[in-house]
Amino acid sequence: MEMLQYALRKFITGIPLIIGVTLISFLLMVYFGPDKTYELVGKNATEEQIQEIRHQLGYDKPFVARYLEYLKELATFDFGYSDSTGERVNSILKRTVPISLALITPGFVLGNLLGIALALVAAYYRGHWLDKLIMGGSVVGMSVSFLIVIIAFQILLSSNDGLGWFPVRGWNVYSFWDYLRYITVPTLATVFVALGYNTRFYRAVIVEEMGRDHVRTAKAFGTPPGELLFKHILKNAMIPIITRIMFSIPLVVISGSLLVESYFGIPGVGKVTFDAITTGDQPILKAVVGITAVLFVIVLILNDIFYKLVDPRVSLK
Amino acid sequence: MIIRACALLFLSSLLLAGGCSDGPKTTGMKVYRHSLNGSPTSLDPAQSATIYANHVVVNIYDTLYSYKYLARPYQIKPNLAAAMPDVSEDGLTYTIRIKKGVEFTDDPAFPDGKGRELTAADFVYSLKRHFDPKTRSQGSWFWSGRIKGMADWKQAGSDYDKEVEGLKALDRYTIRIILNKPFPQLVHTLAQGYSAIVPHEAVNYYGREFSVRPVGSGPFRLQTFDSVRAVLVRNPKYRKEPIDLAYEGYDEAIHGKFGIEKIEGRAPPLVDRLEIHFIQESLSRWNSFTKGDEIQYAGIPKELLDDVLARKQPNVLLKPEYAQRFFMTSGIETGFVHTDFNMADPEIGYNKDKRREEMNHALRCAIRYAFNWHERNKRFYNDMGVIFPGIIPPVVPEYDPDGPKDSLEYSPEKGKKLLEEAGWTADKLPTLTYGGVAQVDTRQIFEQYRGWLTKIGYPKEKIVFDSYASFGDFNKAVKQAKIKIVGMGWGLDYPDAENTLQLFYGPNGSPGSNNANFNDPEYNRLYEQSAVMQPSPERTKLYRRMNQIVLDSCVTISGLSRQEILLWHKNVVSYPDRSIVGGFHLKYVDIEEAGK
Repeated sequence: MEMLQYALRKFITGIPLIIGVTLISFLLMVYFGPDKTYELVGKNATEEQIQEIRHQLGYDKPFVARYLEYLKELATFDFGYSDSTGERVNSILKRTVPISLALITPGFVLGNLLGIALALVAAYYRGHWLDKLIMGGSVVGMSVSFLIVIIAFQILLSSNDGLGWFPVRGWNVYSFWDYLRYITVPTLATVFVALGYNTRFYRAVIVEEMGRDHVRTAKAFGTPPGELLFKHILKNAMIPIITRIMFSIPLVVISGSLLVESYFGIPGVGKVTFDAITTGDQPILKAVVGITAVLFVIVLILNDIFYKLVDPRVSLK
Repeated sequence: MIIRACALLFLSSLLLAGGCSDGPKTTGMKVYRHSLNGSPTSLDPAQSATIYANHVVVNIYDTLYSYKYLARPYQIKPNLAAAMPDVSEDGLTYTIRIKKGVEFTDDPAFPDGKGRELTAADFVYSLKRHFDPKTRSQGSWFWSGRIKGMADWKQAGSDYDKEVEGLKALDRYTIRIILNKPFPQLVHTLAQGYSAIVPHEAVNYYGREFSVRPVGSGPFRLQTFDSVRAVLVRNPKYRKEPIDLAYEGYDEAIHGKFGIEKIEGRAPPLVDRLEIHFIQESLSRWNSFTKGDEIQYAGIPKELLDDVLARKQPNVLLKPEYAQRFFMTSGIETGFVHTDFNMADPEIGYNKDKRREEMNHALRCAIRYAFNWHERNKRFYNDMGVIFPGIIPPVVPEYDPDGPKDSLEYSPEKGKKLLEEAGWTADKLPTLTYGGVAQVDTRQIFEQYRGWLTKIGYPKEKIVFDSYASFGDFNKAVKQAKIKIVGMGWGLDYPDAENTLQLFYGPNGSPGSNNANFNDPEYNRLYEQSAVMQPSPERTKLYRRMNQIVLDSCVTISGLSRQEILLWHKNVVSYPDRSIVGGFHLKYVDIEEAGK
């Protein structure tokens, strides 16, 4: 009950945040974003047609009226139709978000789990060649462009010039086996890049934790390395780790991964969002920005609840 | 522990359920996987402005006319129409009879879910839609001001119950179109995706979503459509019309090696499932194509041309290892690239001060002398483009191969001299804005251009790149005549030079298609005179005179038609075409072995 009350209270205090984010984003969309009118007019348009389209897009309405309409759309979760395709925005999200989730989740989970595992090893053997090897690998992962990684993995594992084990592109996923075939290469590419950032970050957190008095004391009492790492170090380092993971979730859910989706021909939400940004498809942008803002507020709440779960000293009051 | 495992299992199932769908049963089916380098946004025929949209639209819907599969130069033929139109002697009245018994595909949009017969009234409705503002038509300009009474119909509120004098269904199978003045290209416009015939039930039933839920009577019907592909399946109700290869323009010497003769006498469509993949990333497309069991048709990425081709000129030749695996055709595109000067800008175009206008003319001609077509072709088009003078590209019959080529001459010295003679000095020269979308290629083209201009003494700092984040923003600036120099490309809608000559017709100025805002009285008069003429030597003469006016005015630096190289797998029986025949060719594609 206390948790529910806290969540409700926190959500209400998050409303100004949602309003702030949506207002600034909408301001940018309207005054600095691409003008969709000129994407929709024909090759030989007349001034009359341009005005008709502007009117249909609602560009001739005052900003305040348009923003209030946006808030209403967000409250009712009805964002109308895409200005580009004419499809309902909700249908687009319903179709693409699950695909992006199915695509990104394995890489996200593996990237974080492996990152934590490698960080633990590197931190435990701090200064040792193993630490240097892991950190060197991380720097490589961080330094190589994601695009190059994707192309290299695609050529090595999927193309005829390489091993040719996996499909080059597409998303014909009708069974678990298909799913594994189609996500393996994108996942490996994602993990390769994510590992670099994750390992470095988690190592820094864990190293800091290792220097604390209780760890030194546990060591002095002869605690075995496994127990030391998992029970005394990792558990206490969970707060920054949870924060990092939780705050990545809204982006994973709604933004997808443009490069992975484009290069592997996967019809996820990343490409839809990118196209909406570059062409000024406001209904889709409004949905993506609005939902991301709401998700962030929810993540903030969950974050606090998780803090409480891993550290009982944290109060929800 | 058990609870955690269950939760994990539940989450995994959810993920999988979200990403999966019921599998297609393709065993024993003929599946053809085509690829395009861009994607359509809307499948509403009224919005099918791109070749990507057209490729899908003409396979789902019927058009009255289409182009012969193999004949080059392109030849128009009846499609849904029973024959070519009966045209009155004054060229104003077209009577078109359509085939009987053609039905729309079954769809929930129809009262009992069963597609009904397509009638002449459906064509009338489909064309009227273009003049209904709600449709957001991108193709209305083909017929705007040309069909008698259409403007009044729109003015009166686009009420579909009201008749348009010049567009009527005389009976279930007869259409009559009355024009305000002769429009010889009308039949060509009726072979465009824009003119495809839609049922009013589907438009009303799906509303805005009609653009992604097409219901037609074409060879295929849509199964799925998203940002990466469109999946079409055979329309079982499509009329059975055996292929007559001789009629389609079959030539043993050209088409024999592709196995086209195997489709003689068969009724299209020849494959059960047509997948059109939209792949912008050229390397990804190439890897998928060469994989063997993925897409079956693609072009060659620019960066791999030297690896794949044994010869680029005069005829394109594949290296043996590729020639063994793939079929190839090559040819120049049905369009061209050109660079226009904005004549509405007094600093470079028309000016109230006649002396300044003359100076501007000299300035434009001097800039043209600085333009090095050979280098442009080499750096950006693999030295494979065809350079020609003016705005009538080699692909149309009105092209003059023996016409004067002086407008293509690269001579910075002559340019410099011209500037001096006209009284231009470095301080007097105006700042030139070169507009383009913020892309690497566009920026490189600009830098090359700026380099050339410095050779005629143009100060580097006076040539600036006006960069736009999206095509929409760039198009807005062009349509508002805000840019001095505009690099453009034009793909022909139909194989008649009128389609390119209208680009410089005065009344088509911004926001119309005349981006140069060229407005020459003689040119306009000749355009109006030729626009009502049937193809003839007299009309060709007028076309060429107009071309010369454009060249003499130095209003554009033009042009170059790019080389297109098309490759497809050897088990595919096809003769692909990207532009005029375009998507129409897909119903003739066959696969030698069905999927296992």
